[in-house]
Amino acid sequence: MYRNKKSGMLGIIITIVILILIVIFSNSESNTSFFENAANKLVMPIQNGLVYLKNKISGNSTFFTDINNLKTENKELKEENSQLEQSLRELENIKTENETLKEYLGLTEKYGEYKTVPGYVINRDISNYSKIIIINIGKNDGIEENMTVIADEGLVGHVISVTDDTAKVRTIIDTSSSISCLMSTNKDSIVCKGTLNSNSEIKAMYIPTDADLVQGDTVETSGLGGIYPKGIHVGTVKKIVSSKNITDRYALVETAVDFNRLNTVLVVKNN
Amino acid sequence: MKKVFINIALVLIGFLIYFLQANFFKWFTIAGIKPNLFVIYVLFIGLFGNGCMGMAYGAGWGIILDLIFEERIGINLFGLALIGIIATIFDKNFSKDSRITIMFMVFGSTIIFEVITYFMNYILYAANIEILNFVGILIIEVIYNILITIIIYPLIQKFGYYIENEYKGSRILTKYF
Repeated sequence: MYRNKKSGMLGIIITIVILILIVIFSNSESNTSFFENAANKLVMPIQNGLVYLKNKISGNSTFFTDINNLKTENKELKEENSQLEQSLRELENIKTENETLKEYLGLTEKYGEYKTVPGYVINRDISNYSKIIIINIGKNDGIEENMTVIADEGLVGHVISVTDDTAKVRTIIDTSSSISCLMSTNKDSIVCKGTLNSNSEIKAMYIPTDADLVQGDTVETSGLGGIYPKGIHVGTVKKIVSSKNITDRYALVETAVDFNRLNTVLVVKNN
Repeated sequence: MKKVFINIALVLIGFLIYFLQANFFKWFTIAGIKPNLFVIYVLFIGLFGNGCMGMAYGAGWGIILDLIFEERIGINLFGLALIGIIATIFDKNFSKDSRITIMFMVFGSTIIFEVITYFMNYILYAANIEILNFVGILIIEVIYNILITIIIYPLIQKFGYYIENEYKGSRILTKYF
């Protein structure tokens, strides 16, 4: 397609630049602040350098006087800095460990009525259409198919298959997932299904015609279906979408769990 | 011996693609949509390898992906094996020298793979059908796959012709004369 190697390479470089720009723009929430940051990053280092030079030349007469002392001091400070960095790294490790243990403890206390096993999310589906996660506990930890998986905020999904050390979990946001739920205030029964285009919303369907839906109402599992125990928090009603036919109306439920940041889970052993 | 090295290299590339797809492309997305590098991988093996190489690699990686991510084996296995077969058909009917042709092949293969796997998901797991959302995701995924193909095309072409010489060296010219 290209006549020579140079124009071929140019085409590839342009494509790479376009791809990076598309990725940045499609994922950044505020494009204006991105431009501001980029412009600042481009200009500010030079500006800072110029201001530093100006200050040194015009006002600071001691700048050239004791350069040897400064060098020694600088060396000592560098050593001190590396020691502090080392301590900081150790502290950060302890902090992370502490946070994980607290999270486990909090989860276990919250769902004390269930016998649970804690686990980590180690992998997520590589496809755009499936929302299955893989956790680091399996048969060796007593995990079996159809066990309920929860997190601190609420329901995550259920185990669909198990190996010795891992388990696959179909999350409630997966399009193949379907949960029988209850509205917490008026106890109306609904069915919640995952959608393709969102990692934080599920669709509440089959709403009874006489049911009063309230925005902000909480949704929890009904216990029907044999997989999920009753009373686990699923989310809150975010939007009610009405149609001409009242039987077709549906609601969008914001999931309690943030699936983009989900790391720690509990598998409920006895339903 | 060269064929053994080629196959080892192809398997290693497959693993590299898996780790890229599972880690790097989790955050390097276009509006949250990831590309599907396995479609490009199987397509190129089918184009440059011998008759059943594309299908064999497609089936192999399909089984691995099904074992890792799916409830049952079948969806990726069938989809990627089919891409391998389609690539062999493309090889017999189109030239691989044109970047535009390759882009159209990636366009078609990505659409075929995703449509088939989506409807197999519907049949096997009773997934909800959301045509509009599906088409929206698919368009972005196809564009992403094409952009990646444009970037890596020279590399693929070099390695591809090396594979082709090794596997069907004596038969290349008969196609043109």
